[in-house]
Amino acid sequence: MRNVVACGLLFAFAGCATATVPQDLVTARTAYDRASHGPAAQLDPADLHLAKETLDTAEKSFVDNGDTQDTRDFAYTAERRTEIAESRARTVQSDQQKNGVIAQMNANQTATVRDTSAALGRANLQIASQGQALQNETQRRQDADKRAAQAQADLARIGTVKQEARGMVITLSGSVLFASAKADLLPDAQIKLNDVAKALAEQDPDSKIVVEGHTDSQGAAAFNQDLSQRRAESVRSYLASHGIASDRMTAQGFGPTRSIADNASAEGRANNRRVEIVVQPATAK
Amino acid sequence: MKTKMIWAAVPVAFLFGCGASFPVPTQHMADAESAHRSALELGAASQPVAQLHVKLAEEQMAKAKTLITDGDNKGADSLLIRSKADSELALALTREQGSNVEVQKATDQSNTTAVTNAAQGAVK
Repeated sequence: MRNVVACGLLFAFAGCATATVPQDLVTARTAYDRASHGPAAQLDPADLHLAKETLDTAEKSFVDNGDTQDTRDFAYTAERRTEIAESRARTVQSDQQKNGVIAQMNANQTATVRDTSAALGRANLQIASQGQALQNETQRRQDADKRAAQAQADLARIGTVKQEARGMVITLSGSVLFASAKADLLPDAQIKLNDVAKALAEQDPDSKIVVEGHTDSQGAAAFNQDLSQRRAESVRSYLASHGIASDRMTAQGFGPTRSIADNASAEGRANNRRVEIVVQPATAK
Repeated sequence: MKTKMIWAAVPVAFLFGCGASFPVPTQHMADAESAHRSALELGAASQPVAQLHVKLAEEQMAKAKTLITDGDNKGADSLLIRSKADSELALALTREQGSNVEVQKATDQSNTTAVTNAAQGAVK
């Protein structure tokens, strides 16, 4: 009887020692080994720990009882729990990736809005600046036109003002400016020329000014030519000394060659003795 | 002879005793059904990666019910534990799939936003 019991125990012990590991347990071990070296170890340690506990239970069941249904059930559950831990870890990774994409998108949007707003602000400033410049220019032109009109009106009181193809022609009577056969300005002439200088200063600074001297036909032609040239030079010098740039002005004497009235009458000769100041527009240079 | 009869009766009594004393696995049945419902509610049945586990869980539950009817409560309990594990795995895989879809959506939205911004002349 004692031998029978001994053999039975020996047989049972030997059976456990050499029992084939169930496939479920092999699979569970492999799965856990894979998961413990993967992202689940960091991202879902709680579920992985649960899987480990279940796997340990399966191992203990196998050691204690061999390839039983309990062992297989524990192993099966351990494998599933391992896969759950892996899946949840991948889910965490996806969530992190999604959050990263959204954060980057929001950052890009914020930067885009900021940069676009800044660009818009600069554009608005530029538009405002251009608008102000345009307004200033318009005002400047209006003021210039107003001054020019005023200057022209002032000139009209001093002499005759006409618009011709060559420009604005201001005609001053020679008898008002000079004594007979002289090229020196009379004191009253200087007062008038002061007004002329003031009016010319209001004109376009780019315009050119030609001071022309004219005489009647009485006397020697050479003398008249010389007298007209000196008178033109005299007016030009006076204007230059009263604020009109020298390089804008030229002086030229024409003698009696450009009469505007009949030299046979005293009135006609008086009209021919004159100084014409021609203001040529800048575009007519 | 008497001794031999006693040794032969031990395993029979053990087996009979185990089968008879194992209670109906009511709690494990409820756990398995609850896990199964959760998986279905999340749409696991229509997710290719989770479908297999949903099917396994359902088969295991059905077989467990049959075993309970036949009086094999222990066998039924074993299947219910497995069923619950499969349903939970199906649930996890479905959530993972949903998360992947969200990543793709976010990426698409980011790309669309960038293209729209560029088209509308936004400053990069």
